[in-house]
Amino acid sequence: MNSGITDLSKQAPPETITAEVCIIGSGCGGATAARLLAEAGHDVVVLEEGRDLVGVERTQRDGPMYDQLYMDRGGRASHDLSVSVMQGRVLGGGGVINSCDVVPIPEGVLHHWATKYGLEDFAPEQFKRFEDDALRDLSASRIPESMVNAANNKLRQGAEGLGLRGEVMMHNRVGCRGLGTCLIGCPVHAKRNPRMVALPKAIEAGARIFTRTRAVRIEKANQELKEVTVRTLDPGGYHEQAELRVRAKVVVVAANAIASAQLLLRSGVGNSHVGHNLTLQPQLPIIGIFDQRVAAFDGIPQSYAVTEFEEEDNAEFGLWGYRIEGQMATPGLVSTLLPFSGAPAMERMTQYDRMAPSLLLVPDAPSGQVEVARDGRLTILYEQREDHRKRLRHAVETAAKVYLEAGAHEVLVPTMPPLIIRSAHEAQQARELTFAPVTAPLISAHQQGTVRFAASERDGGADLNGQVYGTRDIYVFDSSGYPTSASSHTMAPIISSSRMLTTKLLTRI
Amino acid sequence: MLDLLAAPARDGHKTLVAVGDVPSEESAREGLFSFLSRRRFLKVSLVAGGAVLGVGGGGLLALRGRAPKVDGLRALDAHEYRTLQSLVEVMLPRTEAVPVDAASMDLPRAFDHFLADEPEQNIRDLRKALVLIEFGPLAFDKKLTTFSRLDVADRTAHWNEWALSDNLLRRQVSAAMRKFLNLVYFDHEQVWPHIGYPGPSLKRTSGVWP
Repeated sequence: MNSGITDLSKQAPPETITAEVCIIGSGCGGATAARLLAEAGHDVVVLEEGRDLVGVERTQRDGPMYDQLYMDRGGRASHDLSVSVMQGRVLGGGGVINSCDVVPIPEGVLHHWATKYGLEDFAPEQFKRFEDDALRDLSASRIPESMVNAANNKLRQGAEGLGLRGEVMMHNRVGCRGLGTCLIGCPVHAKRNPRMVALPKAIEAGARIFTRTRAVRIEKANQELKEVTVRTLDPGGYHEQAELRVRAKVVVVAANAIASAQLLLRSGVGNSHVGHNLTLQPQLPIIGIFDQRVAAFDGIPQSYAVTEFEEEDNAEFGLWGYRIEGQMATPGLVSTLLPFSGAPAMERMTQYDRMAPSLLLVPDAPSGQVEVARDGRLTILYEQREDHRKRLRHAVETAAKVYLEAGAHEVLVPTMPPLIIRSAHEAQQARELTFAPVTAPLISAHQQGTVRFAASERDGGADLNGQVYGTRDIYVFDSSGYPTSASSHTMAPIISSSRMLTTKLLTRI
Repeated sequence: MLDLLAAPARDGHKTLVAVGDVPSEESAREGLFSFLSRRRFLKVSLVAGGAVLGVGGGGLLALRGRAPKVDGLRALDAHEYRTLQSLVEVMLPRTEAVPVDAASMDLPRAFDHFLADEPEQNIRDLRKALVLIEFGPLAFDKKLTTFSRLDVADRTAHWNEWALSDNLLRRQVSAAMRKFLNLVYFDHEQVWPHIGYPGPSLKRTSGVWP
């Protein structure tokens, strides 16, 4: 088969595909590796479980887009349903369904990794050139003032009124039309993401990309020629259809921290660290309700961040504290986050155009685990720790004060039961929030860890080249390797680290 | 009680057979409804079942009564469809604020079609959840009736207890139902004028950047 994108749901697959390098996952890590390897003349195959959904197929509608763009049709969750785990499943991966937030790994975190975990290549002076290249890939720039929408300006107005530090964020949009539905794909392709940058370049250099293909097992992990068992899916991506094998000397796993660990565990590949040290960075939405129309759904949904309480060099965890970022979603998703049913839910949704929502982004300790049962069933084990709850309460109190300062007549904290805050004094009620399981709509958009990079097999699942311990030329090039939270957003970090790891790989193959 | 809660196999559904020794991903997905692991569900069912064991299986069936036949279902049976209809009535009622009748959208059928493409384990779990909802008044409130037979006011009050319950499983079921039914309902264009949403921006003639 020639270079380009082949949808294997629409044709009978070959029994075997042979390549020099097989990359599993087409997101920030996989696409970047595919491009660099193909440009260097290597024979590259990319496997992607999602389909290539482009242009007006991205309908801006909740139902079909969560169904087609997200893993488990948007329904992936931690073991007890406490945290909704949002993970892309589309050609281009997470970069297709994120809010274009470009937040590189802070220097404090890079120092932390280099000193505490011995990740020398991540030392700021070593890592900077890869980060610079990544920012060029992304056409990264500061969001122009004129593109900060009314809802994000409410957040800024409140933060400035209270004297809190904040910033207009960096993004990777070019030609943005302010359509507002970044979370369910941009129909005009304004995102300079892997789908629009790295993958076309990889194809141009000869890479072969197969969509609707699910890697289910890696075999012969210690032999020169590895064998990846692959199942093709039906056009909707719901059911497995046929099976084929991909034979390759090098296998790069870059399917997201959850799916990469899942694949290694299903394959029986790697040491006892695989699956452990998962961070989910659970976020909580909070909503300022204003008397006048805000129309947060128009324009860039996420453009301003309150960074006053973010800590980048915590001695134990690196990234710590929290940040508050404006965010908005389409009505269907917003309605699922509100803690109401029946007539009260209807009444609340009539305020949709007067809502100015934010996400409270609270980094967490690497304490979760990906587990695969004997029958193949995936479980994302995650218990929210008290240190996370404590910072989340503080974040709720701060965000409530910010929105009240900006003129909100009330602030809705979507816990069950709901907390309605109408004064700065009432904001103290946030201190009583328990965050018991399934009483708050926690969302994970930046899963990391599970195959921690470490200089020694004793301390992690992959070495400093990203090679999975106990294997020959099987690598992880995504956020799986991060020992702690890299950043509040993972697109730029993953592209940067994949560039670094691929550059190292190129010296050896 | 446990036998009754165990959802029957769907007629005509083809279970995908794993190839070789690799488990099928169909059973490996961690989806919206996969939280109801069999073991956990049975444990809770046993607790809930304790309240109703005295009635006996035959009594329970009689309590549930007959459900009207529904054509074209892919995953659910008529009883489960009726439970969902009853649930939609209380979760998404036609109100003065949003005078859109959810019945016109046939959300239970949308749910059925969604579910039909889920992994078999999720289908089984979710059907159990619907049975639990139907017998919720008996299991949790010790009322000799079923969810669908409650009048709307009592059903609303009963359902609201699920979200606030100390019982994790009830909160999970409540959250999962809200996630699906609300998402589909508020994604409907009939609803948008009432919530101030002008619809997908790409189709608008004004209101977004050029």
